[in-house]
Amino acid sequence: MRIAIEDLRVGYSGREVVSGVHLMAAAGEIVGLVGPNGSGKSTVLRTVYRHLRPTAGRVLLDGTDLRTLPLARTARHIAALPQERTAAFELTVREVVAMGRTPYKRAFAGEDRADRETVARALAAVGMRGAAGRRFSALSGGERQRVLLARAFAQDPDVLVLDEPTNHLDVRHQVELLALLRDRARTTLISLHDLNAAASLCDRLHVLHAGHLVASGPPRTVLTPELLAEVFGVRAAVTEHPLTGDPLIAFDHRGRLRLPGGRT
Amino acid sequence: MLAAALLAALTAAVALGATDIAPGHVWSVVLDRLGGAPPRPGTDDLIVWQLRVPRALLAAAVGAGLGLVGTATQALVRNPLADPYLLGISNGASLGAVAAIVLGAGAGGALGLGLSAAAFAGALLAFALVWCMARRGGGFSPLRLVLAGVGIGQFLSGFTSYLVLQAGDEQQTRGVLFWLMGSLSGATWATLWLPVLAVAAGLLVLQARARAMNALLMGDETAAGLGVDVTRLRRELFVVTSLLTGVLVAVSGAIAFVGLMVPHLCRLVLGGDHRRLLPVAALTGALLLVVVDVVCRTAMDGQELPVGVVTAMIGAPALLFILDRRLGAAR
Repeated sequence: MRIAIEDLRVGYSGREVVSGVHLMAAAGEIVGLVGPNGSGKSTVLRTVYRHLRPTAGRVLLDGTDLRTLPLARTARHIAALPQERTAAFELTVREVVAMGRTPYKRAFAGEDRADRETVARALAAVGMRGAAGRRFSALSGGERQRVLLARAFAQDPDVLVLDEPTNHLDVRHQVELLALLRDRARTTLISLHDLNAAASLCDRLHVLHAGHLVASGPPRTVLTPELLAEVFGVRAAVTEHPLTGDPLIAFDHRGRLRLPGGRT
Repeated sequence: MLAAALLAALTAAVALGATDIAPGHVWSVVLDRLGGAPPRPGTDDLIVWQLRVPRALLAAAVGAGLGLVGTATQALVRNPLADPYLLGISNGASLGAVAAIVLGAGAGGALGLGLSAAAFAGALLAFALVWCMARRGGGFSPLRLVLAGVGIGQFLSGFTSYLVLQAGDEQQTRGVLFWLMGSLSGATWATLWLPVLAVAAGLLVLQARARAMNALLMGDETAAGLGVDVTRLRRELFVVTSLLTGVLVAVSGAIAFVGLMVPHLCRLVLGGDHRRLLPVAALTGALLLVVVDVVCRTAMDGQELPVGVVTAMIGAPALLFILDRRLGAAR
């Protein structure tokens, strides 16, 4: 399914943190949101999985304004992997993944065979089938992320929204998690700090800066040394990855860049 | 199995006391009455049917209610250290009830309805106060929540004691001990229906939201992404827990720690899924309070302990244990 965001504005307590953002993700496309901390990436994503209500503008799912859909109906199409981390008391891995079936269930309804199969498939897809009976709180960070992704899969979504899913993961777990997302059966909207990961994974990127959209397009055209200097305030060379041919950003960790306004 | 244990405990509760009555005899008296037979002559019917059966049933209803309220409160604030007593909600309910009695408003509801309404109002007010205190400055740390609850609880119980002592009429006010420590000695058939009904309705309402409560444990954003209306769910849980606490406190005073221990214990054994947790916490709470009440009635000759004394003696160590586990896990 297609996601379109039109002139989105979001504010907390009078302060606007996202101002007039337009973006589009076609069916099956992987679209990345990049930008410095506080640029509004998470805020944009939160309006898509309806944790936040836009102050103006619309989020459209195949042309339907999300505000006209009940929350549970939205959740049957859009699954989210937010950044929040909570203790989840004493739930098992299977129980956490089965939570993905929530939007399909009426009060008092138990899980049927189809639910259990969906949950098992989701666990298998992330390679955690053997851990189904373990306590979620006893897992490592990488395992937890995979289980939470399985929960999103169990929601059987057309659109997947992920907010910095590779944060706090070591390199191997980052690579493994992103590999799970390269599936074109769903539309994917993802925010990433790691620009090289974004360049390798995404079909298109949207760059946010202080709540404004400043660039959009394929990674190759968006990630230029000029943009990296202006938006992120870093000096970098953009070359080609010797193994994959993806754009490769090499940061100059020694260089100091003169920022607008005289700050260094 | 729990249900069978509860039935056995109820039988024991009716059989044991100042005068012990054989369990078989207890059931024959009860079955006679249920069958519509006229009361038997002698004191057995009086003791069994008029005194001990309503009291045991009240203990079961209040215990079940406290188990439910504790579970719901812990999900609501996403913190296993929460319970209506620790958060000052029970003290708020006590103050509401006492204020109603002193002002004469409680006398109107012959079946305890006016008293319960006042207790509900007090509970709601205390909960809102603790909530705002704990919320200030963004986060919702366990420490802040518990400290705010204890502070506000003590503050409110001070007022409760003052009102009770000032009114000075032992008959009318049932005493400071009743409101601050809890007691089941006021049990009668006439006042039993409201707590039983409230607990049954509470279980039904909460069970319908069990899935959403699970999602809430994972965080507000996750719950929203799963299609849960988090604001509405919070509001509903807020009202249901305050309402139940109000009804329970109106009939039994503020009983400590049952709402804290029972859900925690059940979660350890059973896991955190509310669809199983809620009914099991209700049964376990009922079982616990029935047993505790027997201890209270029989521990000392010729005098009974308030239930809150015994639940505090079991519950406070349990609280310390949970605190240790939680803080250990947080490091």
